[in-house]
Amino acid sequence: MKTFALALLGIFTATTVVATEINESMDAAADGTVSISNISGSVEVQGWSRNQVEITGNLGSGVEQLIFERDGDEIEIKVKTRRGNSRDTKSDLVVKVPLASSLEVNTVSADIDVAELTGEQSLESVSGDIATQAFGSDIDINSVSGDLEVEGDDQAMRSMLSSVSGDIDTENLAGEIRVESVSGDLVVVNGVFDRVSMDTVNGDIVFHAQLLNDGRLDVETVNGSVDIEFAGEVSARFDIETFNGDIRNCFGPKAVRVSEYGPGYELKFTEGSGSGRVTIETLNGDLRLCK
Amino acid sequence: MNETDNNNFDDELMAAAAELATEVTPDRDLWPGIEQALPHPGRPARTVWNSTWAQAAAVLLLVGGSSGVTYLAITEDLSPLPPIAGGPTLVFEPVSGSFGSMYNLGPDYQDARRSLAATVDEELGRLTAEERNEVQKNIDVIRAAIEEINKALAAEPDNALLQKLLLSTYRDELGLMMRVDKITSAAMRRGDI
Repeated sequence: MKTFALALLGIFTATTVVATEINESMDAAADGTVSISNISGSVEVQGWSRNQVEITGNLGSGVEQLIFERDGDEIEIKVKTRRGNSRDTKSDLVVKVPLASSLEVNTVSADIDVAELTGEQSLESVSGDIATQAFGSDIDINSVSGDLEVEGDDQAMRSMLSSVSGDIDTENLAGEIRVESVSGDLVVVNGVFDRVSMDTVNGDIVFHAQLLNDGRLDVETVNGSVDIEFAGEVSARFDIETFNGDIRNCFGPKAVRVSEYGPGYELKFTEGSGSGRVTIETLNGDLRLCK
Repeated sequence: MNETDNNNFDDELMAAAAELATEVTPDRDLWPGIEQALPHPGRPARTVWNSTWAQAAAVLLLVGGSSGVTYLAITEDLSPLPPIAGGPTLVFEPVSGSFGSMYNLGPDYQDARRSLAATVDEELGRLTAEERNEVQKNIDVIRAAIEEINKALAAEPDNALLQKLLLSTYRDELGLMMRVDKITSAAMRRGDI
């Protein structure tokens, strides 16, 4: 009897440490919404031309159930773990969705990787890294400590990106962008913008892109450095202030000291017709402004 | 950050914080002044980059015109709480400081902030120690920045740049709590963690 019990225990133990492979699919609307929730592991989403959602990958042994449901044009995918179980919940999902789908992904520590999807995206993770491509539809991406990487194709759209400590890197986005972090670095490279807002407390800020006529660029940091390099011509009124940082301006005009007793420099000038506006404010951060 | 964008952000911040305050069912009405500034159903949707006037209103709501006596009364019972190391929840230290030589943080702001911090504490209690530490580390970054700006303001109390940066950094702190709460509560709504 004892031997039998031990054998049963052995079988049970074996089954609890083995991940379960999955391969499921269902029909989906061409432009519906797909919501994915996974605690840890990874979520990889790829757009494809079929009106179907397919899930492959594997589920951790602590997973109770994979919920895969359709309600009208909405499909929900949720890796449900046993309540209170923090072990073996790591699940890796590869999800293929119709390429015009709107996507919502939420994870705790799982990384999120999205490719070839033209619909809107709302991606959130506590500590997982997030990487995605954007093709002209709005994106809203947030993390606490995970890094964010976004690659666009120069189509105008609205991008809202935030982290607490993760770095944020974007390339070839266009239109409106708002990027903010507490200690993460913010980098916006390439692309053409009419509205830009970049805000950190300690993170460094880099903007190497084009600002359209009538465009606005607003940059604020307490301790981070600021590196602005405009691609192409820029036409704007510049209003730059720093309390304790250095200003290096390739446009010519020199910063003037505004405080009689403490540090503090101000730089105001107009480039081109002055149709746009650039404001930069720092406490201690150094500033470089070039074209 | 431009003024109109600030305005929109403040509105979003206040709206989301109000939802949180409702969700936790506070014992009393925490911030009637802010409530008046919240968007209501039926009102036209606001654009991302809208008017300067609402920004000014949001700033007034944040800053308030509270007297020094009120401010002291509020902060009196908010002695610093221990850090999260070893503890199940994250705690937030009290706000201190003032805006230049003219304003103090208003009681509505203080209430909203405490309410939000309590909600975030709850959410963070379910995350790993490493994740909580990461948030605490960044709270500390913001607190250090606020302290540094306040020191500079002590020397130049009417410096407009410093006043603006201080307000903005307080807003960053609320923004951080909002973001953390939004992300973690979305994850925790799963009901299986």
